[in-house]
Amino acid sequence: MKQFVVIGLGRFGSSIARALTEKKFEVLAIDKSEAQVKAMEGVVSQAVVMDATDEKSLRELGIGEFDTAIVSMGDTIEASIMITLVLKEMGVKQVIVKAKSELHAKVLKRVGADRITFPEREMADRLAQSLASPRIFDFIEVSETYEIVEMAVPKKFANKTLADIKLRDKYRVSAVAIKRKIPYSTPDGSTDFKEEIIVGPGGSDEIISGDVLILLGCNEDIDKLKNL
Amino acid sequence: MNDDYQDLIELSDFYILSQRYDEAIKVLKKAKKIKNTDWRLYYNLGIAYEALHEVNDARAAFRLVLKLDPDHKSAQEHLDTLIDE
Repeated sequence: MKQFVVIGLGRFGSSIARALTEKKFEVLAIDKSEAQVKAMEGVVSQAVVMDATDEKSLRELGIGEFDTAIVSMGDTIEASIMITLVLKEMGVKQVIVKAKSELHAKVLKRVGADRITFPEREMADRLAQSLASPRIFDFIEVSETYEIVEMAVPKKFANKTLADIKLRDKYRVSAVAIKRKIPYSTPDGSTDFKEEIIVGPGGSDEIISGDVLILLGCNEDIDKLKNL
Repeated sequence: MNDDYQDLIELSDFYILSQRYDEAIKVLKKAKKIKNTDWRLYYNLGIAYEALHEVNDARAAFRLVLKLDPDHKSAQEHLDTLIDE
């Protein structure tokens, strides 16, 4: 099982530690604040009060054996740089660091960070994207020109098959999957629904009003679909 | 009058189960003109709006269900999901 160490238990650090634990990973959470560590006790596999800038203590904990470290000390730039450097020297395979600014990110890359994250900026980008196109629920940038989006079907697609719509020929995008709400009667006589995913749909699959399409295509072609 | 209302609610159930959500909303709007104090009306509206991703309308409908029946577990669950979205 993959093992994670999360250093810095502020809002971002504690959220990611919780989320990884919910996904059944082993998580060691570290912070120098006793209160922050206490809040994570019983939530993660192990929570330790420690000053993570102390290299000796990190070594004693065997941090070098961990697959991935997440350093979330955005407010103390110097500490996050030092910890990143030490973690890489200790042999942690992947070090992901929360950065405060572009300059901070640049220094982190130089000292060996494998991935830099700007949680507020990334969240803001997602929110802006969903506000700009209310029919887009989520997106993943595959490359500079390609993306995968989760999109509510345009009304004009309803009750047509994928072959009728000619997604690939006319709109130059591929349907990766269809997410559909399947209604059913509950024992008390009312209605509810459960979600079903049709992976790799074929031309004969029909689109129903309310479906969510997961599409892969280049940004320009996806933009055209958003405006339908 | 009450029979008409009951028929419309049952028709909305049928439309929802047939995934014809727009039609369900139309009949529920008709039903609302007859009676507007029944949680079932707003629950079905919430379900139909949610299926069509009209989340603002869905949230408003589930909130009305909870106003009329504060212990409605399913409406609360749907509302929680819609607030998270």
